[in-house]
Amino acid sequence: MIDYEVVIVGGGATGVGILRDLSMRGITALLLEQGDLAHGTSSRFHGLLHSGARYAVKDPISASECIEENLILKKIAAPCISNTGGWFVQTVEDDSSFVEQWIKGCAQAQIPIHEVPLSEAYEKEPLLSKEIVRVFEVPDAAVDGFKLVWANAKSAKRYGGHYKTYHQVESFQFEDRRVTGVIARNLLNGEMLTISCKIVVNAAGAWASKIAAFAGVSLEVICDKGTLLAFNQRLFQRVINRLHTPGDGDIFVPHETITILGTTSEIVDSPRENSPLKEEARKLLAIGEEVLPELEKYRVIRAFAGVRPLHREDSDVPGAAEEGREVSRTFALLDHELRDGVRGIVSIVGGKFTTYRLMAEKVTDWVSDKLGNATPCRTAEECLSEVPNTVHEKARRLLPCAAAEKMIDRLGEDADSVLAEIERNPGKGKMLCECEMVSVAEVEKIASDQDTHHLADIRRKTRLGMGTCQGAFCTYRALPLLWKDKGKYDPIEKELTLFINQRWKGIHPVLWGQQLRETELTRAIYASILQLNDNRGE
Amino acid sequence: MWDGIVIGGGLSGLIAGIRASEKGKRMLVISEGVGSLTYSSGVMDFGDVERLKEEKNHPYALMGETVVRAGMEYFQRLFPDYQGAWQNSQQVLTPLGSPREADLVPTGLNAGVLQKAKEIVLIAPEGMKDFFPEVIKAKLERVYSKAKIEIYPVAVEAFDIWRNSGKLITGMDYAKYWRSDQGAVNLKNILGKLTEEMACSSSGATSGEKQGEKSAIIFPGLAACFSNVLKGVLEEVPLPIVEMTAFPPSASGQFLYEALKQKFKALGGELLVGTGVKKVEFQGKRCHTVIVKSKGKDVTFSAQSFILATGGIFGGGIQVGPKDANESVMGLPLYVPAQWTNSEFLGEQPYAKMGVEVDPELRPLAAGNQEPLFDNVRIVGRLLAHWDPWLDHCGGGVSLASGWLAGEIL
Repeated sequence: MIDYEVVIVGGGATGVGILRDLSMRGITALLLEQGDLAHGTSSRFHGLLHSGARYAVKDPISASECIEENLILKKIAAPCISNTGGWFVQTVEDDSSFVEQWIKGCAQAQIPIHEVPLSEAYEKEPLLSKEIVRVFEVPDAAVDGFKLVWANAKSAKRYGGHYKTYHQVESFQFEDRRVTGVIARNLLNGEMLTISCKIVVNAAGAWASKIAAFAGVSLEVICDKGTLLAFNQRLFQRVINRLHTPGDGDIFVPHETITILGTTSEIVDSPRENSPLKEEARKLLAIGEEVLPELEKYRVIRAFAGVRPLHREDSDVPGAAEEGREVSRTFALLDHELRDGVRGIVSIVGGKFTTYRLMAEKVTDWVSDKLGNATPCRTAEECLSEVPNTVHEKARRLLPCAAAEKMIDRLGEDADSVLAEIERNPGKGKMLCECEMVSVAEVEKIASDQDTHHLADIRRKTRLGMGTCQGAFCTYRALPLLWKDKGKYDPIEKELTLFINQRWKGIHPVLWGQQLRETELTRAIYASILQLNDNRGE
Repeated sequence: MWDGIVIGGGLSGLIAGIRASEKGKRMLVISEGVGSLTYSSGVMDFGDVERLKEEKNHPYALMGETVVRAGMEYFQRLFPDYQGAWQNSQQVLTPLGSPREADLVPTGLNAGVLQKAKEIVLIAPEGMKDFFPEVIKAKLERVYSKAKIEIYPVAVEAFDIWRNSGKLITGMDYAKYWRSDQGAVNLKNILGKLTEEMACSSSGATSGEKQGEKSAIIFPGLAACFSNVLKGVLEEVPLPIVEMTAFPPSASGQFLYEALKQKFKALGGELLVGTGVKKVEFQGKRCHTVIVKSKGKDVTFSAQSFILATGGIFGGGIQVGPKDANESVMGLPLYVPAQWTNSEFLGEQPYAKMGVEVDPELRPLAAGNQEPLFDNVRIVGRLLAHWDPWLDHCGGGVSLASGWLAGEIL
């Protein structure tokens, strides 16, 4: 008797994509994630849905995969995507011969591009540097990693898929060089859990080597740290890429009311090395200035960093470890039976967010083949969530228009239960987070979810604390909601301090201008007015 | 020609202006904003003076204990509504209901009486923003374990129309309402009814006086400081009424700001608010003129002396870019620590000690030099270097002492 046919390790985009695909094909599956869903690389990137144009010269396979997936995701994941379009801009610094190669590469990968006259470009994007030579439009878009991951998880759940967050895999069970089960620890209460299964899918991203090692398999993942900056304004209306060999700090991606600039690229030893540094922030500003002059005058609300897991088989690309960008961004499915003689486990490594669905499809095809399941993949056709029009109408009636749409995008069909609560109790329609327009009812719902364990989990699901105030006001306002569920949270002061320290990690590298002023206000509130750094009264 | 111009109209700038005016000087205060008092809790913290006066370069060490003490006494003389005694701090409640220490406290905020209470009623003004009665109640139950804590909801008809239109009611809105004629009458009725109910329910209370010894009312969203009408209403209540400090914006801070402005004007001071300094002119070691932009055109003011009270990073006195930091008005040299931050957000943050280094008479020093850069410019308040109000809880002390000193020696 087995518990699940498949156990997936890793709750990033790839893992939840696999969970959904398996569940849609009727294969029983459980996903284990050591933190919260999307807490890793799947949310720590610039949120660019690639058109593939960035890889047109150096990596034609990635380029083709990207454009195909780009078109599919715009269809199946529309609420998670803002179809901004994108430009590639050539500055006077950039090599013209590269531009010619790039145009050819795009044509080969079937990426539609067209040149935008400079006069039109400056009209549409007035902040663009006057040093621009040529501008091309591509079908890039902005994608919200949190939303996409959660939409996949919810869809999987509807098809019977299961996931457990804050569960860390500690070892595997074997029978005759076949993996037959997974032993995991519940990090919240320390309990151990043994799950028997037929196949383990290693989709642990930057942690994939560690998971493979439990099966006695060696697998090399290069940890490529990328730091990004979040600006407080929508600096551009569309994605802006530099038209040159891909490099540091050359992509601006607008999201709602902010813009993300990234990224740096640096090989690090461990996926845990994801703290942004002041030097990296300054480097990004300096490079970004070539596209947007006087960039340093715009308010940066925070810096953040993710670790891209790049895959390299030992024989590939000599010297690749020195420069992360040289390693292929395409993915690899590693059949450990063929490769290492260990059955019952498959690893999916490399790749990028834009191709998560394709990666999931390939893995699920492989698993289906092993299990003798002939159900075809439908993830390229079936939308992640369908929110009925009646819900949209109800939301617009009960909430300010922008807040209504934002909430539906975040929650999908779950928005309905939040709206019902607001209908019962109109006071709960008030905004708890004024920066990101999150209502009291929404935070209450998320706070009471079974898989919400920390204030940071609420943040990832609702964007609470991710706006201009970076939690100074809304963290305080979320307090009574945590209070109601106090069995579930640490003492309130501890939870608050933990949350503001996490926010601080991304603020201290960009501590200047208006954000530094905001920081002083936050310190005044928490250290002086609330006296959280002083327990004399207790 | 003015005797003195103060640039910056927050706590320390206004104290300096008031002290100098009192001594017969013709004073002008030019202020770009409205200071930071509304963001503060309205109480004055002096911190551990004994320790801080020994800390190298701390403003307390520079000015000396006598000056710090003079700052405290002067403030109390100006505003008898504030209680406090040297090195004898009092308790006030944080917005979450924890008692905390403070040195100068508007009378109504003093929470000392709660220690003896057996019955505490927590007023819950209906729909008040950023106020969590359940959380506060639980906190009070832990801290005042001998007392029975009860929540008493209070609804105000005047806010019905706000509530129905979805407008949020802040503590400031409530505090201003109670100060209105209608609000004061309503407050009197509410408290009268409440004390009657409490007298009935509390067994063995034979007189109001006895009741007052064991019962107390906590009243958030009320700030009676500087209002004779409200003080009159509260005096008639047989029970002690304890106010709470507020999450920003704070009524106590706002009312103190108003009182400071009023005091300054009453002494003949001139106040220009909403006016930023565009340029400052110097001759040798003396500053003589400031040019401000007022109503769209440049206006020039000259004075014998200048006091810079523009605040620190939050107030706008210091502007920090990705590569450098500048003093906003005169371009004075700044002390900037090499390492800026520390991973514990609420721990020591070295950047917070950024500021202008001064001599014991608060004159700015030339970079890397112990000589004053100008003879007739003085620095007060948050713009001073080498102190952190949030780490050492000494914001009120440094502002009052430096403001008083600058006004005194002008």
